[in-house]
Amino acid sequence: MVDIVVDAKGLACPMPIVKAKKAMDTLQSGQIMEWLTTDKGSMKDFQAWIKQTNHELLEAKEGNGVFTFIVKKG
Amino acid sequence: MASVRSITAEELHRLINSGQGVTILDIRNETDYRDWKIEGKQVTSVNIPYFLFLEEEEQLYAQIPGDTPTVVVCAKGGSSEFVANLLTERGYDACSLEGGMLAWSQLYHPVTVYEDDKLKIIQINRLSKGCLSYAVISQGKGMIIDPSQKVDVYLDLAEQHGFRIEHVVDSHLHADHISGGSQLADRTGATYYISSGEAKGTNLKFEPLERHPRIRVGEINVEVLAIPTPGHTPGSTSFLIGNRFLMSGDTIFVGGLGRPDLGGKAQEWALDLYDTVFNKLNGIPDDCLVLPAHYADINEIGDNGIVGAALGEIRENNEIMRNDNQDSFREHVASAVSTEKPPNFEEIVAINRGELQVDAEKAIELEIGPNRCAVHHHG
Repeated sequence: MVDIVVDAKGLACPMPIVKAKKAMDTLQSGQIMEWLTTDKGSMKDFQAWIKQTNHELLEAKEGNGVFTFIVKKG
Repeated sequence: MASVRSITAEELHRLINSGQGVTILDIRNETDYRDWKIEGKQVTSVNIPYFLFLEEEEQLYAQIPGDTPTVVVCAKGGSSEFVANLLTERGYDACSLEGGMLAWSQLYHPVTVYEDDKLKIIQINRLSKGCLSYAVISQGKGMIIDPSQKVDVYLDLAEQHGFRIEHVVDSHLHADHISGGSQLADRTGATYYISSGEAKGTNLKFEPLERHPRIRVGEINVEVLAIPTPGHTPGSTSFLIGNRFLMSGDTIFVGGLGRPDLGGKAQEWALDLYDTVFNKLNGIPDDCLVLPAHYADINEIGDNGIVGAALGEIRENNEIMRNDNQDSFREHVASAVSTEKPPNFEEIVAINRGELQVDAEKAIELEIGPNRCAVHHHG
């Protein structure tokens, strides 16, 4: 189901988004990326980024301080 | 990544005040930017979230004027280095704000308001939040009014200006920022005062302000008169020095009156505020300098760097202070109340009541964001 997993746990801005962007560039439209971060600031920026770039947020969850986002490439 | 120039929050403040003009490129997301940003009279502010720079779109750069130095600002200083680097590669005179908005939130700027051989008053401006605290100094003794949580600022000030902190007072229980009052008193052996109306039933160790109509600072006759001015919160206090200086807490601002809604009793507190404005402060002359605990707009900072105005001027400019009809005053104040509360105000109040302890990092995080304590009364 998930085509690529981006583990950005423990990284600080801007690296979580930089990694997400690089991974997204390797995907085709419709493919799925799972992105994990522990940085609250990055999480908000990530949501703003996918909105701006017309990707689709399928799922967002939090557990044990890790934020997980499932995104479909637009 | 190539090394990029960075500047500290102090250096940025000097640059903003230099009059040469500066562009602040704020690369946080739009919501955070709208909520709270660095302001200044000579500042051109541009918001482009950093993730847009990843797309390498050339038109982004068209929004950034290249004729003044550009300071890139983010939340903590990581992303701003990244973007400042991109700008530098394109020939911009760009640098990164070290520590980002977090560092900006911790910047305090002291300005001497008044000085003669018996009395010195220093206003300490916490620029990011528009919070003001004061040092009243006489004969090597000092009183600190409304200290913020970074108490080292006041300890440094005491050392520089050669005074011993004997009294620490809070004009009221703050809802928008964490008080350094108790901690500063502990560190210096000073007495901590707040009114019982504010601190009753809390875990605070305090001297009730209402039992001290005068607090002596120094050996000479500097009168520091605490007059109960409820209004903002029940038990708010103002401090008057010889009818010349009024530290008004959150009761009267340069641009308006305090907001009375934070306890959820806007109508009732509006009446207290009325009583303050028309009864308690009526006898104070027009030339008395009002020194508030907050400002809401950078335009309230005078050319001398001081936030303050003659009481007469404030009376003149604020229709609400001349409206002595109690009902319409109450309606005006209650209806002007903003629905936006200061960020995290419930936790901040709990900390200031001594009921919640947090570590330094959490304290800084809770306080980050804009000040929303002043009600604007325009027109």
